[in-house]
Amino acid sequence: MSFELLLGAWVATGLTLFIFTFLYEDNPLFKMAEHLYVGISVGYAIVKTYDTVIIRLIYEPMVKQGDWSLLIPLGIGMLMLARYVPKATWMSRIAFAFIVGVGSGLAIPRVVSSFILKQVEDTVRPLASMVQGNPTFSFSLADPASNLNAIILLVGVVSVLFYFFFSIEHKGPVQVAARTGILFLMIAFGAAFGYTVMARMSLLIGRLTDLIEYAEPRYGRPSLWLAAVTVIGLVLWSMKRRPQTEPTEE
Amino acid sequence: MTFAERMLKIDRRIIFAVIGLCTLLPLLYPVGLAIRISPEVKAVHDYIESLPEGSVFLLSLDFDPASKPELYPQAVALLRHAFKHNLRVIGMTLWLPGTGMANEVITRIAEEQGKVNGKDYVFLGWSPGGSSVIINMGQDLYKAFPTDYGNQPTKGLAVLNGVQNLRDVSYVVSLAAGTTGIETWYVFGKDKYKFELGGGCTGVIAPGLYPLLRSGQINGLIGGLRGAAEYEVLIGQKGRAVAGMDAQSVTHFAIIILVILCNVFYLSIRRARQAQGQGSHS
Repeated sequence: MSFELLLGAWVATGLTLFIFTFLYEDNPLFKMAEHLYVGISVGYAIVKTYDTVIIRLIYEPMVKQGDWSLLIPLGIGMLMLARYVPKATWMSRIAFAFIVGVGSGLAIPRVVSSFILKQVEDTVRPLASMVQGNPTFSFSLADPASNLNAIILLVGVVSVLFYFFFSIEHKGPVQVAARTGILFLMIAFGAAFGYTVMARMSLLIGRLTDLIEYAEPRYGRPSLWLAAVTVIGLVLWSMKRRPQTEPTEE
Repeated sequence: MTFAERMLKIDRRIIFAVIGLCTLLPLLYPVGLAIRISPEVKAVHDYIESLPEGSVFLLSLDFDPASKPELYPQAVALLRHAFKHNLRVIGMTLWLPGTGMANEVITRIAEEQGKVNGKDYVFLGWSPGGSSVIINMGQDLYKAFPTDYGNQPTKGLAVLNGVQNLRDVSYVVSLAAGTTGIETWYVFGKDKYKFELGGGCTGVIAPGLYPLLRSGQINGLIGGLRGAAEYEVLIGQKGRAVAGMDAQSVTHFAIIILVILCNVFYLSIRRARQAQGQGSHS
């Protein structure tokens, strides 16, 4: 096994265990791993951005291929830095105007078409489908096109809209509709929370799978050694901290 | 203090330990619980199956190492399927922190399947802009990515033969951990350039993507580690995701038991207090 893989296994194991120590209490081992994570992420982003944007997308096409038209977007982009010069701050507005204008122009029609019109279109599906001229009903929760799903969707959307309709008092039939809306919202939040729990457990499974793999002799059993080091570190830190928190006797 | 009151004030670290053990033990001693294939995962699989050999499959790995446990197994399963089916694979990412990881997974699976860089697959890397990159690729792929991750010019690569822009791509799958991701690919890609789009995502964002699935805006969705496990079963190559499913089921069971117990203890305390209140009144 190469030295890089071995070193990577030891570093990954150590940092995983250090991060897990937060479950016991906030401590210096956790803080060290947290700061390393943030620092390395930022460092990686700076290096990759420099290499991709400055070198590959700007320097090489201009200098090697002679594409000097890139100076125009480069100049507009550089105007953003004018924010740091008080007398030239106004120039940065040119860059921001360009970005906001282009961004809005691109995004607004596409987002309205994709998220509003398309979703409304799907919500207002007919409750009965016509097959060879005859109205047909299909009732299957598994089939997105079924009439049963269309009915559930109709009841759900209307009742949830009633719940968020605050300009009239929720009394009588409006109250019934609003309460039905709450039920639909609770089911939706429950599904979202269930998926979130699943996601968090998946992350834990991922880290534990790595720790189990790194407990193998071919890696030098870093999981076992570093778990011992982490526990000893936590015990020493707790012992060192205890006298400071105890009240002084007079 | 009654037993129920003591249980409701239990140290949270005991619960962490219980969940930790419930995750660790099934990983060490797997039992192989059955995995049911959902229609949304099967839809992605079946669409790839339906593509003729040599079709262009674009996999956008829009996630970073923080989402690796969920999305990396999905990437492995999809790449194995695409390479086995002899599709031409274009890899890329819209997430800067995931660039190295994306390159690693594509290179590793391609080597495993005996595929050649530049001929059978290419990894374009990352380009700044998110939605603008997609629009740029829709107009001219070579302008968006003049070189690939290894800095070789994309023009002239055998794998991109006949591909000028996104309209020439048969199927795009975005493996997303958030924004920029599946929604961006739909809004600025599929809706404009009319290619078929599938998705893979973390569990956290999956419920928000089901409306896109229902309306046919995406043709399939692989959700979280469970979706990855289903895909591994579909291609008959069980991997990390399937191995994690026992642990997933056991932890879910443990959480359900804890929720029920907490409610039982809470209700028993409330009843005891109500009974005490009635006793003191009489």
